[in-house]
Amino acid sequence: MSRLQIDVAGNRVTFTGRIDETAQLAPLVGQLPAGAVVLVPEGVTFVNSVGLREWIRFLRALREAGRPVTLERVADVLMTQMNLIGELRGLAITSFFAQYECPTCRNEDQPLVDASLAPVACNECGSPMQLADFPERYLTIFRS
Amino acid sequence: MQRTTPTSLSGKLVVVHGERRAQRSLQRLLGTTLCPVEVVPDLASATIDSDTIVVIDAAIALTALDACKRSARAWIAVPGEGLHPADPTVVSALLHAGWDHVVAHPMPLLSEELLATAQKLLRRDCFGLDKYMVWGSEVRGFTLEDAVERDAVVSAIASDVTRVGLPDRIGSLVSVIADELLANALYAAPIDDSGVKHRVHDPRDRTRLLNGRDVVTLRWSTDGRYLAIEVRDRWGTIQPAAIETRLAATKTANAEGGMGLPLAYACSNQLVVNLAPGALTEVIALLDIRYKPTELARSASFHAFWGDPP
Repeated sequence: MSRLQIDVAGNRVTFTGRIDETAQLAPLVGQLPAGAVVLVPEGVTFVNSVGLREWIRFLRALREAGRPVTLERVADVLMTQMNLIGELRGLAITSFFAQYECPTCRNEDQPLVDASLAPVACNECGSPMQLADFPERYLTIFRS
Repeated sequence: MQRTTPTSLSGKLVVVHGERRAQRSLQRLLGTTLCPVEVVPDLASATIDSDTIVVIDAAIALTALDACKRSARAWIAVPGEGLHPADPTVVSALLHAGWDHVVAHPMPLLSEELLATAQKLLRRDCFGLDKYMVWGSEVRGFTLEDAVERDAVVSAIASDVTRVGLPDRIGSLVSVIADELLANALYAAPIDDSGVKHRVHDPRDRTRLLNGRDVVTLRWSTDGRYLAIEVRDRWGTIQPAAIETRLAATKTANAEGGMGLPLAYACSNQLVVNLAPGALTEVIALLDIRYKPTELARSASFHAFWGDPP
């Protein structure tokens, strides 16, 4: 199972792999250039409770350092777990991957969506796919 | 004429529900245990002793949160008849108040879950995921010989689940559940001679041979209805009351401490804790693989049982 790979390009940080007890996020705060930060956890494949705690401490440290943080293309597994944590409410998230299902052919997919959770076309039959889970599993975090 | 009788089951069941249709459904369901079933419209009308299993409408339970402290063999809150699952706030309030059995799902899932729960209580036989599977379901198991094998076991079960043909969504949930239950058994369960949980702060990537009471096992099975993951440790130190409080508070957690089981609960449709104090803890997470998440309850059911080790 792949450990977390972190790629920093300017103010943009991309995460790929597992966020677990091996993920070292604390040192990253001091390595980022000044100003706003964009986090792109698109390639995160697994998050456990220890990793989630590390991730939250990382976000908290950025916030306490006065760094504006935006998340883009958040992996489904991370998005649903962040929604369990009250502390993260109000976090700026522009897009995330979510579980969708096609009511016509039952195809399942994880399209990239925003907080409107708009229907997307099924990549197999073209019918409108619908969110396959409760909206609050993705949207609680947007409530202030 | 010779008559065969099932294993002698002692005790009685009391259904507390104000609605006649729900009363009938629950009476018929629980009547299959061949134990006496008494039906009453409210708690004041019920005759409850230490051998009684009380099955109560969650709406009534909500008005009598402390009822679960009264002496009985078990208090089971159910969402009642119909297609409406228990509201998450109700589930949370009941767990917070210390209810050991909170069924979140409506019929028809309610019937499967409630019958298994009642039979486990009546037979005083709580351990094993097989009680939730139909006959003939294959059970696959792993015994960890070293704490660092956790990753390998999680990978193996995720791979097995995918091979069965279940969607990636289920594989992802299974990975998180298996990882958290194993971590709980490996690091939160062991205690030293003073009763201190001395493994809690162990680095989780460090090798540690597992012998004797440190042995941890994982089994899983699916029958096309449920996928069950069962993790056992030989310590029996889990505290259901503390877990219930943590599960009730999941949505407001700040992720500092004790997030493992709440995360497993959030990924499950039913979380079951079976405990032989000082000897064995078994946690079973059940995923319903028949229905879409939106067709199930928003919150998972929870059950805590006490019994002798098998």
